[in-house]
Amino acid sequence: MDKAIQLERLAKTYGRRRGLVDLTLDVGRGEVFGFLGPNGAGKSTTIRLLLDLIRPSGGRAVVLGLDPRRDAVELHRRTGYLAGDFTVDGRQTVRECLAFLAALRGGVPERRVTALAERLGLELAPRIRSLSKGNRQKLGLVQAFMHEPELLVLDEPTSGLDPLVQQVFLDLVREARAEGRTVFMSSHVMSEVQAVADRVAIIREGRLVTVDTVSSLRERAVRTVELHFDGPAPAGEFEGLPGVTDVVAEGPRLRCRIAGSPDALVKAAARHTVTGLLCEEPDLEELFFAYYRNGGGDDRVTDA
Amino acid sequence: MTASRMPEAPEAARTPEAPEALPHGRLPRTVWSQALRDNRRALAGWTAGTALAGAMYASFYPQIGGSMGDLTRSFPEGLRQAFHMEDLSSAAGYLGSTPFGLVVPLLALFHGAAAGARAVAGDEESGYLDLLLAHPVGRVRLVLQRYAALATGSAAVAGGVLLMMLAVRGPADLGGIPVTAFAAQCLNLALFGAFFGALALCIGCFVGRRGTVFGATAAVGVLSYAANALGPLVGLGWTRRFSAFHYYIGGDPLRNGFQWAHAGVLAAVCAVLVLLGAWAFRRRDIGV
Ligand SMILES: Nc1ncnc2c1ncn2[C@@H]1O[C@H](COP(=O)(O)OP(=O)(O)OP(=O)(O)O)[C@@H](O)[C@H]1O
Ligand SMILES: [Mg+2]
Repeated sequence: MDKAIQLERLAKTYGRRRGLVDLTLDVGRGEVFGFLGPNGAGKSTTIRLLLDLIRPSGGRAVVLGLDPRRDAVELHRRTGYLAGDFTVDGRQTVRECLAFLAALRGGVPERRVTALAERLGLELAPRIRSLSKGNRQKLGLVQAFMHEPELLVLDEPTSGLDPLVQQVFLDLVREARAEGRTVFMSSHVMSEVQAVADRVAIIREGRLVTVDTVSSLRERAVRTVELHFDGPAPAGEFEGLPGVTDVVAEGPRLRCRIAGSPDALVKAAARHTVTGLLCEEPDLEELFFAYYRNGGGDDRVTDA
Repeated sequence: MTASRMPEAPEAARTPEAPEALPHGRLPRTVWSQALRDNRRALAGWTAGTALAGAMYASFYPQIGGSMGDLTRSFPEGLRQAFHMEDLSSAAGYLGSTPFGLVVPLLALFHGAAAGARAVAGDEESGYLDLLLAHPVGRVRLVLQRYAALATGSAAVAGGVLLMMLAVRGPADLGGIPVTAFAAQCLNLALFGAFFGALALCIGCFVGRRGTVFGATAAVGVLSYAANALGPLVGLGWTRRFSAFHYYIGGDPLRNGFQWAHAGVLAAVCAVLVLLGAWAFRRRDIGV
């Protein structure tokens, strides 16, 4: 079994409302997998299906080689889960809550728990009711990581965390990968996924839009290119080149957006004297929004 | 309450890392013990409140018992029966009327309904069950342990009432009622509260909405009271058989001691409701 998660035409409807439509997806063991989509895309639905909190209305899921429904207890033993709206009983203290959850898992070394809490800057003494949102989220992270599970399923793990703690979280994910564990994390924020994920899936309105490695998504990404000429920028020659859009000329400066191969652009520029060239590293955020806007992957370029 | 001293959980005993494992010492370790611990303040409040309400009524007996007995003798027979006022001059008759016939069971009923509504539906609505059910705890085990905590709480409330009654028995001239009769009545009280807890838990296992669950359970409580007290007044004697109040006090435990058949019916219905709930809970989506 080299797949941590296998989804085959997994579907979920809530009454007549769409939740998820025919999602087919594989996540390999030891992979860090980013799961991206806008609000209401179906990320939490997918994640809750993986954990048998809700049942599919079609298709099937195999997680760690197990059937989430039949082998729920075994699966949960080997999984760490952080819910999108992580909730605990506010009457417990942090320590009490972690002790209880650890006991449900048959015990977790206390050293590991306190070390995790310390790294994230989570105090153990306060009552949970009195914690801020970010501190509550830290508690959620500690309980998900503390038993060093084979599979981590994290629904918007960084929501509410300050940038410093987000970095600690990313370190935790990298360490998990280094130890061969699998991480499946959802997010709206491309940058955090980009920083750690091997592959990324984008879903929208319950449907899978694309699955790809971060590096090839980056290749397909739209970049902004800025060229400086020794005379007025010949904007006309660049309009209509394959993959080139949004051409703006301002004196000797020309800005445009390029998707895919920059070959045609470079050859067009070579006919003039180029005094400066600036190519912005594509931000997947941009790609992400391009997918949102157009509702599809490959027709994006021609639509834009 | 014994919430702070818990028996060893079997899985904790198996843990290889037990010496340095969380939790240590006397911290609770099961769904059952944690539910009791989380609810310890509320439960202490219900127990004290119910016991004090019982004690207050009991302490009126020396002044009121006799005179009320004279007054109600003029009421129609049916009315007196309905409100357990056949014999207000005796200690058992007086306690069986308003205190144990209405006030104390009503408090136990609401404790059961509130705890039952919270046990599944409330924590499901808040999102807490997402966390617990993503742990290696089967759904059935969760329902059973949560119910065990609820039943423990109901027993604590009834136990508090019993202790209070034994304490005021002498001062309030209730010596005519044997200790076993108090125990019998309080056993039925515990089962009565546990019944409404089981009902609320069961409904919660089907619908998962705390407000709905509490409302439905309270409505059944009111109907049960009516079926027991008022049904016979309008010639519907058979309605009693469907009322939890009947199995709770119909056999007059304060006079007749333990009513095993009635207690058995309550316990059996609790078991059926909880198992039915667990069955339904296994099958459905959580938190939708
Ligand atoms: N309990 C429910 N009842 C009805 N519809 C639901 C329910 N839960 C989710 N949905 C619907 O399913 C769709 C997917 O929701 P989901 O919560 O999976 O989105 P998400 O990707 O997690 O969004 P977000 O980023 O806002 O968390 C939404 O259109 C939502 O309205
Ligand atoms: Mg979500």
